[in-house]
Amino acid sequence: MTPPVRIAQISCGAEYSGVQHEIDDAAHEVNGEIFFPDIALKDIRRDFDAFGLDVRSPDLKLSIARAKALVEGRVEADAVFIATCFRCAEAAIVRNELRRYIHENSKLPVVSYSFTERTTSGTLLTRMEALTTIARRRALLARETQQGITLGLDSGSATTKAIIMKDNKIVGTGWTPTTEVLKSAHSVIETALAEAGMTMKDIQAIGTTGYGRFLVGKDINADLIQEELTVNSKGAVYLADRQHGPATVIDIGGMDNKAISVMDGIPGVFTMGGICAGASGRFLEMTAKRLGVDITELGPLSMKGFGGRVPMNSYCIVFGTQSLVNALAAGSTREDVAAAACHSVAEQVFEQQLQEVDIKEPVIMVGGTSLIEGLVFAMGELLQTKVVVPHHSQYIGAVGSALLASGFIREH
Amino acid sequence: MAKVFIYPATSLILSDLVSRHGHTPLSSAVAIRERVQTAGLESPPLQITPEEPKKGLKWAAVEVPSGVRGRMALYGPMLEECEAAIIINDADFAFGCMGCARTNELIKFLLRQKDVPKLDLNYPRNEEEGVQFVAAIKRFLAGLGSEK
Amino acid sequence: MTTYTPTHVGTVTKYVVVESFDVTPADLAIRGYEISNGAMIKDTCFGLVVTGKPEEVERIVTGLRTMDPDHIFVKDRGFPPGDPRRCRANLGGARPGYHGMEFEMTVIPYITHGLEELKKRDATAVPAPKDPLDTSVLDVAILKKLIDAQES
Repeated sequence: MTPPVRIAQISCGAEYSGVQHEIDDAAHEVNGEIFFPDIALKDIRRDFDAFGLDVRSPDLKLSIARAKALVEGRVEADAVFIATCFRCAEAAIVRNELRRYIHENSKLPVVSYSFTERTTSGTLLTRMEALTTIARRRALLARETQQGITLGLDSGSATTKAIIMKDNKIVGTGWTPTTEVLKSAHSVIETALAEAGMTMKDIQAIGTTGYGRFLVGKDINADLIQEELTVNSKGAVYLADRQHGPATVIDIGGMDNKAISVMDGIPGVFTMGGICAGASGRFLEMTAKRLGVDITELGPLSMKGFGGRVPMNSYCIVFGTQSLVNALAAGSTREDVAAAACHSVAEQVFEQQLQEVDIKEPVIMVGGTSLIEGLVFAMGELLQTKVVVPHHSQYIGAVGSALLASGFIREH
Repeated sequence: MAKVFIYPATSLILSDLVSRHGHTPLSSAVAIRERVQTAGLESPPLQITPEEPKKGLKWAAVEVPSGVRGRMALYGPMLEECEAAIIINDADFAFGCMGCARTNELIKFLLRQKDVPKLDLNYPRNEEEGVQFVAAIKRFLAGLGSEK
Repeated sequence: MTTYTPTHVGTVTKYVVVESFDVTPADLAIRGYEISNGAMIKDTCFGLVVTGKPEEVERIVTGLRTMDPDHIFVKDRGFPPGDPRRCRANLGGARPGYHGMEFEMTVIPYITHGLEELKKRDATAVPAPKDPLDTSVLDVAILKKLIDAQES
């Protein structure tokens, strides 16, 4: 067995929130090992003063000193996990600044997280898996072209997608709303195979991602079962043809959103979350339903409207829907309401998540919601940039899986 | 023999001086020991389970970070139980159990609200201040009643 | 979640820290073992960790203090000795509380001096330390005196 990935924990409050063992467990599950960088009191005093962020909490001073020890190479690590209490302003400032500091001054992959006493290892698992993958499997992530015939499957919370690729080209696609995980998976694989004119015997390697990746991966004997943070990053820069240099990947999903700061196709800093469904694809789905249009029509509809005319803040999906209903009752047009819903989701993602990664152009939007032009437009306006939406962007996880799976062909 | 809350609650110096003069120091270690020696659900390293931040709601509202509430579950009962307190005001390098400034502010506030004898000090910075520091604590503890 | 079964129930654990020219941690350990009478004693670089029933630990600690009363300091510890949850080897680094102790060790010599001096001096006659809560600004009359002194 390969030695565990050494993940340095920089944190305040985890032990006292009763979640330290959840962090340890999540790391352990993906062959990671949490440790605390060892420093002395004199280091804490010197490094805290040198860093210049004058916080009061001693454990945050300790965090700053530990981050400096990692960046300066006095303590060795493969990856960094920064965690502080949710709702602590002082800690949020430190968390953000340390994340930025480590990212800019070292090659260490970093993930930051704010926990509550309800945080479980399950919530942390995807993030830890991404962290250990980036630390340990750089060779796998270095792949830039797809070879042979591979199948990628993305078992998401809202939809299941399949892609078949042959010699660096997409030859088959399948898409369906997720109902029963395995049933949905088999159905999209069939569709994709039919489109490609192939059978399962032709497939040389398989990759799975998304919430159902383990279940489906086991069922169809996948060669690569990988979380969606790294897979989507790879898929995004591959499809957008931006495999070199920096990029920012935004994926507003059905259940949670991902914002990933990428360098040469490898995620450096990422956040994953969405405190409330108000900032998710689900809210747009509900909006479409309430407006009596198909989700595919919401984009064009919103482009005809002006969101500024409708007050809407979908921090919560319930209140968001309420403002939607109120606006319609007050005589707002469907177009304006659609535009306001898109703006609201984009704004929530912007405020809650994009602040935690460094936005570097190009900004690539992927996932099913990237097909809603009103949302892409709203995001572009907020970020003051032209957002790139690559072809097949709704299949991002499946494409990334198919691409990375070709690294396993030789093993057969 | 009085129960004396010491601040910082992790202090070796205060813990020692209080027990040296025959009183009982109420410290972090005592609260942690209670948890480490009580059966329940496993929650290493400190045996503080996610239930503790909920117990902490007695002293801090739900919008207060979980780390503050979890720590308050340790200190709250001691603050209620204490009969006196010694507070070192410039304890800037007490980590872990005393590692959160917001919790520490709340602890100090609750102590100030409480009608018990209190002694406020800073850490001594030279030998003469050391004499004054020890003498002040000695006088304070003597005033709390009979030594054992 | 796994059920937790505690060990060492009903015991107390104390650190006995020595900061002395006359008594080394090793001397302390030897004396500790002599009087331990079944209590658990673990020696470390800064002194001892003593675990046992409260009255046993109290007896040992009192016995050890007599070796060099002004240079031996005692405090409670939440965990039994060598507990993997607090062990530096398992955590990768020192538990945060260690740094707090590291800081107080820099102050301990002044405390020792205080303890020694108060054997010679009457504690009631020692002036009170400056009240940290008294943050009054410089008295204007004193300020004027300072300015005048500079100008003359």
